[in-house]
Amino acid sequence: MKKTLTVNLGGTVFHIDEDAYQLLEKYLSNLRIHFQKEEGADEIMNDFEQRISELLNDRIRLGYEVITLEHVEDVIKRMGKPEEIFGDDYTEERKEEFKAKAAPQVAAKKRLFRNPDDRIIGGVAGGLSAYLGWDPTAVRIALLLLMFFYYVTIPVYLIMWLVIPVARTATEKLQMRGESVTLENIGKTVTDGFENVSNNVNDYIQSGKPRTALQKIADAFVIVAGFLIKLLGIIIAIALIPPVAFMLIILVIVLFAIVIGLIGGGIGLLGGGVGLLGGGLGLLYSLFPFADWSSVSAYPEVTLIIATIAMILAIGIPLFALAHLLCAKIFKWKPMSTATKWILLILWFISTATTIVMGINFGWPIINNQGWHWNSYYPTQHIRFW
Amino acid sequence: MNAENVKSQMRKGILEYCILLLLKKEPAYTSDIIQKLQEAKLIVVEGTLYPLLTRLKNSGLLGYQWVESNQGPPRKYYQLTEQGEAFLGELENAWQELNSTINHIRNN
Repeated sequence: MKKTLTVNLGGTVFHIDEDAYQLLEKYLSNLRIHFQKEEGADEIMNDFEQRISELLNDRIRLGYEVITLEHVEDVIKRMGKPEEIFGDDYTEERKEEFKAKAAPQVAAKKRLFRNPDDRIIGGVAGGLSAYLGWDPTAVRIALLLLMFFYYVTIPVYLIMWLVIPVARTATEKLQMRGESVTLENIGKTVTDGFENVSNNVNDYIQSGKPRTALQKIADAFVIVAGFLIKLLGIIIAIALIPPVAFMLIILVIVLFAIVIGLIGGGIGLLGGGVGLLGGGLGLLYSLFPFADWSSVSAYPEVTLIIATIAMILAIGIPLFALAHLLCAKIFKWKPMSTATKWILLILWFISTATTIVMGINFGWPIINNQGWHWNSYYPTQHIRFW
Repeated sequence: MNAENVKSQMRKGILEYCILLLLKKEPAYTSDIIQKLQEAKLIVVEGTLYPLLTRLKNSGLLGYQWVESNQGPPRKYYQLTEQGEAFLGELENAWQELNSTINHIRNN
């Protein structure tokens, strides 16, 4: 069984196998690189696409419903690989041109990219290993160990994921490995792409290569962890449905309060912070006017500001994600990138944890002072977390 | 020095001339041009032709229009422009000259 994609090629719709799609995509993007300096490059590429579409259409007419890797290979054989199309003398000529024009910046310069062909999460380790010329597995193990001993590695990884671009074109893939950008090398990258197609987590686990016992344990761990994360996601989603409407109202109140607070707090960052605090507290006062808030005012201002921000994030991120999802469905927005999702998720975890801890700290003395009935079951001492 | 290489250079040198010749007889779809050139063993892979046609068109020697076909979307239908005919005339002369040069060298 294979996954297929639907593509529009030269105005005709085709169902195409995933691997066949990737091959065709690589072929076309490499041709595009070859032609990019030529006048009328777009037109030439259109001609190519049109013709490939015709050739593939012939297959469909023969009764094939899906374009397979073999079909695309036949088409490429017929159209010619870049080095066949441009021939030797043209290659020489272009190479000279390329060297003359681009040598100072691209010839042998190595650039750090994320490697989309060798990735498990974001391709950071794959890109690093290509950049450093190390074995990717070694880099991954080293990263994991670092994350275990120095937690700062985790945000560093996330930031690298965000900041380092993906190597999309053959040129970028060559720069990633520090190979010079020549036509032979680009051609070689295309030909390499013929055998080595996608390599994501599933392929990583399900590749046909025999696995060692250690790798099998790691696979099992990855599968179990993936399942747990999905399960957690479902539970959170279900749990969130009823409070979401309530939270939406609260968010509007909070935002309104913040605006008022901002105005009240005056201009400037400091004023803004105080305003935020004022807004958050204002909301709490308005929600629970009967409580005794005197104990809260005993906390330092910074703590209160952090608590307010954490609370807003803890409520706001799921709402934002939900709104974004709705907009993506309704207005066909681009879905969030994986990196953004992870960062939002982590931010949400942090802010939720902070909110809960702070909430307990604030809530405890208020409840105690209030003298509510469960007071008598618990010792009156405050549990202070800091 | 490699015979294959020189031969392919020669073929490449007359490729534009042959395309113009083909189109002088009658306008044609890109696929027709490709087919004829492949029959004549002038090109091996199709990809060679598209940049060439675009270059000829951009220098005003060829023009095209989109013509509906019975199968699939409209396709480019190339024809020679006036400028192209003049250009072809020049190439014809050059070819005659080359021919006589070769004959001359060969026979003397």
